[in-house]
Amino acid sequence: MSQKVNLSPIEKIKKESHGLRGTIRESLLDEITGAIREDDQAVIKFHGLYQQDDRDVREVRAKKKLDRLYSFMIRLRLPDGFLRPEQWIATHEIAGEHSTGAIKITTRQTLQLHGIFKSKIKPTIEAFNRSKLDSIATCGDINRNVVCSSHPKQSPIHEKVFAYADKISEMLMPKTKAYYEIWLDDQLIIDKKDEEDLLYQDRYLPRKFKIAIAIPPNNDVDVFANDIGLIAIIENDTLLGFNVAIGGGLSATHGNGDTYPRLATVIGFCNSEEKTLKAIYEVLAIQRDFGNRSDRKLARLKYTIAKYGIRWFKDELESRIGFMLEPARSYQFNERKDFYGWYQNDKGLWYYTVFVENGRVLDNEKVRLKSAMLVVAKTGKANFRFTCNQNLILSDIEEKYKIDIQNILESYQITTLTEEASAIRKNSMACVALNTCPLALAEGQRYLPSLITKIELLLDNHGLKEEEIIIRMTGCPNGCARPYIAEIGFVGTSSGHYNLHLGGDHQGQRLNKLYKESLDEASILTELDKLFSNFKSGRQNGESFGDFAFRQQRNNWS
Amino acid sequence: MLAETKLKTLQQLVENLTKEELIWINGYLSGIVTTSSSDQLTKPVVGKITIAFGTETGNAKKLAADFASKAKKAGINVKLSSLDQYRLVDLQKEEYFLALVSTHGDGEPPAAAKNFYQYIHENALQLNNLHYSVLALGDTSYPLFCKTGEDIDNKLQSYGARRVAPLQKCDTDFEADANAWFENVLKTLSVGTLANGTPATGQIKTRSKKNHTGTILTKINLNDTISSKETYHIEIAASDLTYEPGDSIGIIPENPLEIVQSVLQLMNLDESKRFSYKEQAFTLFDLLKKKLNIVYLPERVVKKYADIVQQEIPPTRIDLFNLLKIYPLKDVAQFEEIIGILEPITPRLYSISSSLLVHPDEVHVTVARNCFTLNAEVHHGLCSDYLMNLPENSSFEFYIHKNLQFKLPSADKDIIMIGPGTGVAPFRAFIEERDATGASGRNWLFFGDQHFTCDFLYQTEIQNHVLTGALTKVNTAFSRDQPEKIYVQDKMREQAEELYEWLSAGAYIYLCGSKDPMSVDVENSLLEIVQNVGHKTKEQAQSFFDQLVEEGRYSKDVY
Repeated sequence: MSQKVNLSPIEKIKKESHGLRGTIRESLLDEITGAIREDDQAVIKFHGLYQQDDRDVREVRAKKKLDRLYSFMIRLRLPDGFLRPEQWIATHEIAGEHSTGAIKITTRQTLQLHGIFKSKIKPTIEAFNRSKLDSIATCGDINRNVVCSSHPKQSPIHEKVFAYADKISEMLMPKTKAYYEIWLDDQLIIDKKDEEDLLYQDRYLPRKFKIAIAIPPNNDVDVFANDIGLIAIIENDTLLGFNVAIGGGLSATHGNGDTYPRLATVIGFCNSEEKTLKAIYEVLAIQRDFGNRSDRKLARLKYTIAKYGIRWFKDELESRIGFMLEPARSYQFNERKDFYGWYQNDKGLWYYTVFVENGRVLDNEKVRLKSAMLVVAKTGKANFRFTCNQNLILSDIEEKYKIDIQNILESYQITTLTEEASAIRKNSMACVALNTCPLALAEGQRYLPSLITKIELLLDNHGLKEEEIIIRMTGCPNGCARPYIAEIGFVGTSSGHYNLHLGGDHQGQRLNKLYKESLDEASILTELDKLFSNFKSGRQNGESFGDFAFRQQRNNWS
Repeated sequence: MLAETKLKTLQQLVENLTKEELIWINGYLSGIVTTSSSDQLTKPVVGKITIAFGTETGNAKKLAADFASKAKKAGINVKLSSLDQYRLVDLQKEEYFLALVSTHGDGEPPAAAKNFYQYIHENALQLNNLHYSVLALGDTSYPLFCKTGEDIDNKLQSYGARRVAPLQKCDTDFEADANAWFENVLKTLSVGTLANGTPATGQIKTRSKKNHTGTILTKINLNDTISSKETYHIEIAASDLTYEPGDSIGIIPENPLEIVQSVLQLMNLDESKRFSYKEQAFTLFDLLKKKLNIVYLPERVVKKYADIVQQEIPPTRIDLFNLLKIYPLKDVAQFEEIIGILEPITPRLYSISSSLLVHPDEVHVTVARNCFTLNAEVHHGLCSDYLMNLPENSSFEFYIHKNLQFKLPSADKDIIMIGPGTGVAPFRAFIEERDATGASGRNWLFFGDQHFTCDFLYQTEIQNHVLTGALTKVNTAFSRDQPEKIYVQDKMREQAEELYEWLSAGAYIYLCGSKDPMSVDVENSLLEIVQNVGHKTKEQAQSFFDQLVEEGRYSKDVY
């Protein structure tokens, strides 16, 4: 019997894709379907696009003999989540012309547009390209958008750390020119040598790969949820280097005990840019060579580490980079939140963090957030930054223009929106889920806001209104909104039902635990009511809800 | 080759025939030739199967399409259908039924299979004639692996159906198992250990213009909700049907009840009063409801009315109610005179969009809701609204209208079908028919409408036909999806080279849809293509085109 490893079908597709070209061109020319060919659906992810369909209308359309309403989601590559105002204006216009209109800030500091029909993909990418924006490698089995602590007040050397995000992103880009060739009609004379990809070869990684950079004491990026987490070590306003953590990842699969969320392990310290970049590169190379390529559910770096052991991994890494990692430096995370409202940095520039519920920038009957942001962008006086908590920071505003921006924010009631949202609402996050995400088992961003309203009432009843509790919801176990490190995590199991997880901390250094399975809304509220009551009476000095729940778990719930 | 007496008889026969009759005989003979020659091949015992799939990810669909084309190659006639489009009541009529179904979430059927699943679980069925097999797709990492397939398999068996092959469960790497299952099924179907099904007789019965009573089985608006259009796919059941693709049905619509009632009220007349019209006696209600055209009277009728009431009436189209209201009669007795000048309701024709071979005892039509503006008011067509408003299971009268000018050529000929909007209707029948008879000629469809997402009539059927190879090529033009308008003729010009190639190789070309401007533009484009690609002068192109018409290779059904 042959012992040959049974590769997953995606491996074959990658290998035979001719540098991520696949048959995308042919797929685009197919006039009878809004979908692209099945194999191309895997390839197109590397170009930052996901094929989706409106699941709400599947049944109705099937009756009408109409195919599913296919459209595409495009995700931008925005290392450290930064846009100049004219780029925001362009995005606003592209969203209006080619997508649903809503601009979605993701949990990884970038922007997504949804509902782009097949025939509009090219015009969309062309328009982004005119604004020097691209979507290369924001999905697929490759390094994704590199995220970085977002608030410049964090540290005077923030700019320096930001620059790392760009460098890492650049270093880990695929070498193929397929993106330019397919979407931008670049008639490049393809020299095979130019496209030779030493890192990704023709197989790319076994699975997606995420990198985050955190600047303590804020862990707003959830650094431990990433395949590689860099923790900036700063002393006396000098960047000494980075602690390197590896093997984080939150996705799991219901009913598959071999899958689990895992937080990254700190393996050492690098004291220079060169060493840090080299270490990152080689972690990817090891994962490329040793990652599981037969079962995609077990293909993230965390499973490679679990299989070979962290010690082996470190040895392999050190032998590849040719130097020893220094022992990890000490660091301290205190929180992982956004600083809403106005803050000034060390250079005197002003920053306003706008609360954006679930990252959805759009106009609704209550507030015209999207219009307001367009007006701000048109002043040309503020840059746009996005946070891993799906909020938006109007950035780098000179003192003399602060009042103009403030006036705009006030006239559109954005300040009210930001100030008056409750503590739990501002700490909450949900993924897209239904109706477009093909993985969703339950609602996410369409449902959480109304659930939060009900939880607010409960908290108010218990006199806990001001409590900062991190609540996160996903429509499936894949963990996009990082529910496994929330104090209260909801993980969708089926329509209207969620697993309730409890016990994460404020700093993002502890996974929560499954408390109750498949609860409907009524049961969720009953459980939370009991828990809040216990919390109110049983909490210890200044204890957070997550810490309280964790202590209870250890004592009673086992 | 023929003996002299036979030859003579043939020559005598041919001498007195019209061209249409000759064309018909030509088709008839080639039909005989195809049928008899295929009889000599060793055909599988089972001639016809249904392959139905319930898919969430598309895997079951892909397999189903693959198997359908394999079965076809083996000489078996296949009906391929998604379970959510499968008419559930048909299950009791099936003889050979293969179900490919995945399991989703916690042992649940995929959305597309939900109705089917419920149907077989909630109804006690008699499936003694059914032979079936189930291919279940699933994922062993879920506890209720292949639950849906398992349930369907058990349920069908409990209703007396017999398995042609045991239930096959497949994990995520399903290809090998699935193929083995299908090989097994095919083998059983060809060996003939099974009872013979009654073969469907495709015999053409004598033609007659007789009235049928049809029952509405299904009525679906094919346009999605966001569309500005309404196009109804209507399935009608009737017995003793005889028709061929290309034929139409004729329907005499009834007048809307509210209009009839308002006329009765205005005239203060008893609806049961009997009047004679064209030497037959009717109640006034029946006359107004079913016999007389009282909406949008033609100018000639308005003129006659003016003569009777002796008033000046400007020449316009107006309905009876307004006429009576604005230009009243001298007395009610005059109404009898008015009835005499009214014209009967004329039948409307709708191209048949089904093949009798695929849908026995059924006829399908594709009806666009007709909207037009008259005197600055929006009106709806009488007949399209009449049909649209007929509830499911209600009955109405219709007849078959033969269209000998719009017939499929012999099986080996290629055809090009140009049918934007409801013009696609006869081509649905063409494709179904050619698919069912296994015609070897290639089939190319041009379709167009306003928007791809909401106006692509019969999209999933067309996709399935492409998957199984029943359609060789499809091009679509959606006029309002981009700043510049794109129509079918633009797509034809885009495909000029290949189109000319098909025509030069003897393809037949068919055009159906609106007369003006569509058919004019399409014909001009055709001439242009022939001229440019064939390097001909304008005159040469015209004579090329004329020859097409002469050879019966260009047919149109435009309105």
